[in-house]
Amino acid sequence: MSAAPLLNVEGVSRRRAGRAAVVDVSFSLNAGEVMGLLGVNGAGKSTSLAMLAGALRPDAGSIRLRGEDFVAQPGLARQLIGWLPENAPSWPELSVEEHLVAFSRLRGANRPAARRAADAIVERLRLGDLRRRLAGVLSQGQRQRLGLACALVHEPALIILDEPANALDPVQVGELRRLIRERAAAGAAVILSTHVLAEVLAVCDRVAVLHEGRLRHDAPLRGDEGAAALEATFFAIATGAAA
Amino acid sequence: MSTMAVARLELRRLAVRPLAWALAALTIAWLAWTFILGLGQFLGAQVKLAAVADAPGFTDLVAIPLLAELAKLAFLVVPLMTMTQLAGERRGGTLALLASTGLSPRHIVIGKYLAVLVWLGLWLLATVAMPLVVGAESTADWGKLASATLGTALLLATLAAIGIACSAATSFPAIAAAMALIVTLILWTIDRGAQAAGVTGGFLEWLTMATHLQNLLRGLVVTSDLVWFALAIALSLALAIRRLGADRERQ
Repeated sequence: MSAAPLLNVEGVSRRRAGRAAVVDVSFSLNAGEVMGLLGVNGAGKSTSLAMLAGALRPDAGSIRLRGEDFVAQPGLARQLIGWLPENAPSWPELSVEEHLVAFSRLRGANRPAARRAADAIVERLRLGDLRRRLAGVLSQGQRQRLGLACALVHEPALIILDEPANALDPVQVGELRRLIRERAAAGAAVILSTHVLAEVLAVCDRVAVLHEGRLRHDAPLRGDEGAAALEATFFAIATGAAA
Repeated sequence: MSTMAVARLELRRLAVRPLAWALAALTIAWLAWTFILGLGQFLGAQVKLAAVADAPGFTDLVAIPLLAELAKLAFLVVPLMTMTQLAGERRGGTLALLASTGLSPRHIVIGKYLAVLVWLGLWLLATVAMPLVVGAESTADWGKLASATLGTALLLATLAAIGIACSAATSFPAIAAAMALIVTLILWTIDRGAQAAGVTGGFLEWLTMATHLQNLLRGLVVTSDLVWFALAIALSLALAIRRLGADRERQ
């Protein structure tokens, strides 16, 4: 008998800017699982992730986190969810360290605990050199790492990463992949949204493909054979050949 | 706890923002100049005033005009301080990030409001310190000064709440500042037409912000004035919370 899923999404839909951005999406995710969310630009990936992070409310459907209704109780996100939005927004006048302490405190940690959490994530992401630097003077890649650190500082059970490899150099991309696997091994579930197939193939156990707001594919990824099949499936969906 | 975390974060951001320091420095310098001028005129007129029964004293001629000057400056300063509170966050994408930490719109709005109140409180304190220092060595009317300070504090708190509500309504800080200024001016002068027609009293006069501040500046603490300020603050913050809650639905 398998344990109840960490995340259960049922029939979620959302209109945005006058069009159906996400339509009747359902899936579930277990602890320790890494799911890649693929789709071309405008497929509905960011809208889906914003709903899973609690920043947007679905028009229809349910999202359950550890069995609790997340739509009715967005406060559940406080401890359970870490979200890196697209473009990694930050406050330009605050330093890297101030961001990390602030995010930890916003999620309920007291000052000493927030400092310890900030120290730990600084060490893990090797942000020591940037620690006292203002977010406003960081490069795009450095801001991306700061956003990642803010998403992980409270060690969430569900990690939602929207294009996390944006602007990272190859060494940092390798480090990001190790970090994702490490968190999954520690029991966190990870959703990784990207339009880069190689990214998904490198770290994910399972792949979902969104197209025009609908979930068109959701299957485990198995070795090289799975990679070739995924590529064929993705292009068929993205070009409309699999309609 | 969550509200205080937002307030602390916002205070930290205010403390490192050049706009907050520039506004504080320029306005306090202006108010100090106004105070010195007023004090000089008061000292020069003391001989004449001594001959008049029930003549106005230091509080009426120096301290209260100083607070009235602060109130005038606040019309511009407070919208500038509040314009980025929510509009800037929304524009920069950090408002959604804040919402994703599980904070409710109420926590975010009240936290930001408290941070602005702390800044405005320090601004008021720096201004009131001038007449307090001189008043300690003269014959100030402490009751009237306390009433006027309370009135100015309530005005600042109301303007801050209006500014936060306007900042919640848009993604453009400049539009938020303009909206807050216009709303404040409307509230300040809403009974002007009635006054021109010779009508006094009534609902329009009660609705006017100036009516309630002037009573407190004269040393009159009336419950209905306090209620007016409390209602204006509560209504503005409620609108801001409602608008922020709608972001999750509308974006």
